[in-house]
Amino acid sequence: MSAADGHSPMLFRLAEQRATGVLLRDTGALYLADGEVVHAESPAAPGIEVLLTAGGRLSPETWQEAVAAAGAACATGRWLIEHRRLAAGELEISRLGALYDAAYFVLLPAAGPTRFRHGVRHWFGSLGGVPVARVEYETRRRRLLLDSLWPHPRLDAAPVTVARAALRPAAWPPFVPRRQAAVLDLADGVRTPSAIAALLGRPAFHALLDVRRLAALGLVETPRGGTRAPARAPAWFQNIGDDPDAALLRRLRVALERL
Amino acid sequence: MSGIDECLLRAMALPGARGAALVEWVSGLALGVIGEAAGGDHEAVAAETAAYARATAEHPVFTAGHRGTGIAAEEAMVVTGTGYHLLRFLEAPYEGGVFLYLWLDRDQGNLALALRGLRELAEGLVLL
Repeated sequence: MSAADGHSPMLFRLAEQRATGVLLRDTGALYLADGEVVHAESPAAPGIEVLLTAGGRLSPETWQEAVAAAGAACATGRWLIEHRRLAAGELEISRLGALYDAAYFVLLPAAGPTRFRHGVRHWFGSLGGVPVARVEYETRRRRLLLDSLWPHPRLDAAPVTVARAALRPAAWPPFVPRRQAAVLDLADGVRTPSAIAALLGRPAFHALLDVRRLAALGLVETPRGGTRAPARAPAWFQNIGDDPDAALLRRLRVALERL
Repeated sequence: MSGIDECLLRAMALPGARGAALVEWVSGLALGVIGEAAGGDHEAVAAETAAYARATAEHPVFTAGHRGTGIAAEEAMVVTGTGYHLLRFLEAPYEGGVFLYLWLDRDQGNLALALRGLRELAEGLVLL
């Protein structure tokens, strides 16, 4: 495993020590249990509650009920299965989808310094972890995939602007898939790919892929200049304490504000 | 009612099964893998089958006349001299789908049985 990225040596050391706690960087947090990644969150990636409620799979009320009943016991996921609100497979798919999506942003090479708080557990509850090496591999694969489509990383964090050429229907390619058209519809020169993904209830990485493809087609403006620094997490995010209740309340507040 | 690992274990119990995976087709993320990988690398198989799945799910030839909110494609298949590669799409609980992939030995596999089994397994993942 390459140690070229600044975070890798620390992350692999924590995996070797079978550490439990939370790894904090400017772009988000990675939760470990016994040295495996059990959860990840980033302001740049819609949380599992956004994925599940935006598309209508769960109502916001059901989600709030689950968090209220089981969040403090770190068992929200288990509650959803036991009360037959979600199938076990569905929960696993969305949990892993959200985990890799947020981990991508947490492990960005330019995400700043890394800190680790031992002993912190995530309120969602862990249902099996993913090896650190697997998360690292997937994150690197995603970076390479984006660059193979259109090597302009600034697109990932910049507001998405429809290219002037796209306003002339004759300039459009013969067909734009429905998923990409939905991203283009929400591009207003202000929203970032992450903001568009949250509105659509999709993982942020899916929007990054679509924006790169749309830029390659000339339908979205490609920003000029060097790499823009990734969005920083708000201050509370970098100060998640050892108290799971406090972390829960903060996360809940963000989730409620999004609904 | 089954989780991903259990679903993949059951897929491997189908006659002639050589390998199976659950893959998110927009990103190429392997959510779970089991058995052998055609070409030797599970991650590459996930990424490559995802590219094929994406074309199937999004190309206008296959989406013509489709009105629903989900994708039009339900299944896709590639038959080679030595094997069957079967893809079964399923509605993910969020926007952006996943598919169940099964690689079967051509001589030992039973296509009809495998397709039916794959459908049941895909449903089982999202069944309450």
